[in-house]
Amino acid sequence: MLTRRFFLRGSAMVMAGMGAAPLWLTRAAAAESRKNKTLVVIFLRGAADGLNIVVPFGDKRYRELRPSLAIAPPSRQDNGNGGPFGPAIDLDGTFALNGSLQPLKTLWDKRQLAIVEATGSPDPTRSHFDAQDYMESGTPGKSVAGGWLNRALPAAAAGASPLRAIALGNQVPRTLRGEHEVIAIGNAQQFKIGNEETAAILRNMYSLSPDAPFRRTGTDAFEAMKMIGSIGVGAPDAEGGPVGLGGPPRYGQGGELGRSLQELARLIKADAGVEAAFAEIGGWDHHGNENQQLSNLLRQFSSAIAAFCQDMGDRMEDIVLVTMSEFGRTVEENGNAGTDHGHGGLMMVLGGAVQGGKIYGEWPGLEKEQLYEGRDLAVTTDFRAVLSELVRGHLGQNDLSAVFPGFRPGAPLGLLRS
Amino acid sequence: MKRVLLTIAAASLAAVILPLSGDATGPFDKRLSPDQQIIHALNRLTFGPRPGDAEEVRRIGITKWIELQLHPNQIPENPALETKLKPLETLRMDLADVVKEYTPGQQGMMMAMNTPGPFESLNTLLSNEQRRKVLNGTAEERTEVLKALDADKRKQVLAALPQNVVSFTPDFKKEAEEAQKARQEEMRREARRRNPQLGDLLNADQLIAARSSDREQVTALLASLDRDKRIEVASLLPPNSLAEIPELRREGQRRRAPRLVASEDLKEARVFRAIYSNRQLEEVLVDFWFNHFNVDATKNVQTFGNTPNLGHLLIGSYERDAIRPHVLGHFKDLLLATARHPAMLYYLDNWESMAPGSFEVGPFAPVRGTVNGVPNSILPLFGRVQAHGLNENYGREVMELHTLGVKGGYTQEDVIAVARCFTGWTVRSPENPEFVFAPFMHDFGEKTVLGHKIAAGGGEQDGLHVIDLLAHHPSTAKFISRELARHFVADDPPQALVDRMAQTFTSTDGDLRAVLETMFKSPEFFSEGAWEARIKSPLEMVASTVRAMGSEVTDAWTLVQKIAEMGQPLYSKLEPNGYPDTGETWLSTAGIMARINFPTALASGQVPGVSPDASRWKGMDASAIARDLLGHDPSAQTLNAIEAGLIEMGLREGKDTAPSLIASLILSSPDFERR
Repeated sequence: MLTRRFFLRGSAMVMAGMGAAPLWLTRAAAAESRKNKTLVVIFLRGAADGLNIVVPFGDKRYRELRPSLAIAPPSRQDNGNGGPFGPAIDLDGTFALNGSLQPLKTLWDKRQLAIVEATGSPDPTRSHFDAQDYMESGTPGKSVAGGWLNRALPAAAAGASPLRAIALGNQVPRTLRGEHEVIAIGNAQQFKIGNEETAAILRNMYSLSPDAPFRRTGTDAFEAMKMIGSIGVGAPDAEGGPVGLGGPPRYGQGGELGRSLQELARLIKADAGVEAAFAEIGGWDHHGNENQQLSNLLRQFSSAIAAFCQDMGDRMEDIVLVTMSEFGRTVEENGNAGTDHGHGGLMMVLGGAVQGGKIYGEWPGLEKEQLYEGRDLAVTTDFRAVLSELVRGHLGQNDLSAVFPGFRPGAPLGLLRS
Repeated sequence: MKRVLLTIAAASLAAVILPLSGDATGPFDKRLSPDQQIIHALNRLTFGPRPGDAEEVRRIGITKWIELQLHPNQIPENPALETKLKPLETLRMDLADVVKEYTPGQQGMMMAMNTPGPFESLNTLLSNEQRRKVLNGTAEERTEVLKALDADKRKQVLAALPQNVVSFTPDFKKEAEEAQKARQEEMRREARRRNPQLGDLLNADQLIAARSSDREQVTALLASLDRDKRIEVASLLPPNSLAEIPELRREGQRRRAPRLVASEDLKEARVFRAIYSNRQLEEVLVDFWFNHFNVDATKNVQTFGNTPNLGHLLIGSYERDAIRPHVLGHFKDLLLATARHPAMLYYLDNWESMAPGSFEVGPFAPVRGTVNGVPNSILPLFGRVQAHGLNENYGREVMELHTLGVKGGYTQEDVIAVARCFTGWTVRSPENPEFVFAPFMHDFGEKTVLGHKIAAGGGEQDGLHVIDLLAHHPSTAKFISRELARHFVADDPPQALVDRMAQTFTSTDGDLRAVLETMFKSPEFFSEGAWEARIKSPLEMVASTVRAMGSEVTDAWTLVQKIAEMGQPLYSKLEPNGYPDTGETWLSTAGIMARINFPTALASGQVPGVSPDASRWKGMDASAIARDLLGHDPSAQTLNAIEAGLIEMGLREGKDTAPSLIASLILSSPDFERR
């Protein structure tokens, strides 16, 4: 079969032979010859309530501290007033997925989904914005200009793609800011300028501009535009059927995150050479009426991820997704069937290389004396320990002291197959 | 070409040498030239200079002009703006009236909820005895009743029977299934009659015209319909096909989703005001303070009396009644107005925060029972749970984001204490969202806030006490001064300036006009360090582009969409911190693509509702057009790129299309990205 990949490599080689290949094309072809691994970070902004996402139904304090908010346990016996949100889905007899995460159960069963319980930052802040800054910087307690994921990128090889670091959306999150160029893409279709001559003038103007930040970002934008134009990142595919039933994947239920991951999937399928990608999903700050909102949000979240994994198919062997949130929420519910700002939360790690179907991390317990400051889930696994394993094992970046300065990971959790 | 390259080399050399050749003083000590000062003031106190603005400031004198901007009541408002805002009627309505007028009628709601159509129920079709036999009797009794009915009536009865009854009615099973199928079909038709689709309203030719991308065809079609049908059709068309027919788009939106009309009005008003208002500083400040006290119109928590989209109805009044009157007043009044406004009470959940246990008796007391095996839990009522205790959300954000700043010296205990003080600050009802203090929700116990004891038994006063404490806290003076200096001077403003502003803040009891005066009169404000140090936000980008071109805007809707495409959907920032007010927020490849495509679209007439006019640049060369748009010389690189490109394209001065192309290139250049 004459694939586009083949065409890309073939034409680049021919042109390179003639000494006329544009830089991007030789780069793209070179990237192609290397096996390309991708780390996808999904940030849940607003402090997601880990306890109602992966339910610790084995801990009896859970239901006592959340009289109106506890998710009904998976067993049917105890289900008197299960509530309108459906019971949880058992994982290992102690933890269960929120019923709205049904699409993730398939991935758990395929051992592609691992859950790390009681993770978070050692920093005590309960400010969303400080906590996000610290976590995205990878430096608890202080906010530095660049982000951990940018530092985690290995030095760009000669053939590195201009699209190796992608932020899905209009803004570059702190996680990805730094030395390596980062392309923010809301919609690849927008990366074009109607008139070629105008485009040439503007490219010229930006690439020589004395205004350094605009010179840099403008140059990146034009480079990305060229690459996107050449690899033919097309319009969205037709919407497919229900997740798991074959056919094209169904991103439509996945909301904004679904659109982001669909955009990313198109780039990956076009062999754009993406090594690091960042997507986010907001709206987790549930101070009131939590379950109803959480249920809707989790349905989007899990549909988006399931559609992406299905869309990627065998490529999942080279892809790892990791989810994170700035902190967890109070163990005890507040006065409005919601939760306030807490401490420990959870992370999910997904991918073909993940040793999934397993809960990782030490459960600290929910008794008063076990809680952080008497109210929140304690952190037993530093978020940097999880990320370190992925940075080293998946991205192949061994210099972790540069990625997470001052952090020394302990014994590895063993999240990835070696 | 050689000349071009040489110029570039010279320019970049100069760029490298300049910072090195500076004396011991920093960039914030070097004063701008008088001409630069005028452009700088226009870039910071307005949404960008319009043609003739610089001359106007020069004529009035820059000091006097700033003085006037600080006293907007002395500036007559632009009559053109008033004309443009006139159709946006929610802007002038009382909040209660907006809620009343733009909420689907009770009757409409009921109709939408019940089965549509004139179907008779079993209650009217059968006597009590017959009904009992059919629904709860034996199979024989049921058959007997049904047999006795005439065919037409039997059909109606069978159609109305519940499914489980039908399956135990063997004799009439088939007839029942047919009757039910027929009824469903009828219901579908009835629903369709009530909510017609385009195909039901228009013939084939009209349909083609309605779906055409040619705006004139759409306009002609709509003009050919009678008023009612026109609105009906408008409500079914995507808003962008009505981009130049604002009245009809609004009517269509009102029919489709009435509650969204008010926030659409506000978004368009924001753009019109930014472009047309003569009281520019006031508009800049409204933008700044709304973002500081951000609320998100799209917050949609259905607990609030099950009223979806309430946020959309509240934000217009929030901006008009809580923010706008105080932007040049005292900070404490601004803080209090936001604290009491239903939009903020709803957005940060304070409306439902109450003293734990305060609600255990009386008609609103929660109903308790066993949930998940835990006795004495609060039972969900129709999917919502009755409030029964404290909510920390507002208590935290009012300190972190509105007053002290995250490092302003408060603890988790303070968060809880402040939340307790504000319990009972709520709204009368979703239908009548006005501030009330509800004593039965209030925590009357003693609290300690930031080291100050607040005695037991205080009531509404507790919240006022906290407002007073926070408004006068030294951390607030510093935090607010820094935010203002960041917005008006530089992303990382000089500490000495912030300190002087904070001093003014403290000595004037938080008089925001006085704080601004300190800043505008400071050497730092008119310094090299401040010159074009700020990257424009999407709103600033769009408004300044339209202002610089001197374009006439007849409809702001498309501009609102462009601002969203650039990454700043208006009034829809989910998080309470608003849009981070630094350049890195907007500097991205996606942002640049959207920003550089906008002027080209504008200049080539592809932004509906905005008419570009390039006539004033007729016969001018690139550098003259650049000076006209920027107020100063463009960078050599920008100019060279344009001139080289024009030569490449074979376009020379005097060609008709050249000035409009040049203008759009200048407006897409890095030179225009900053203010």
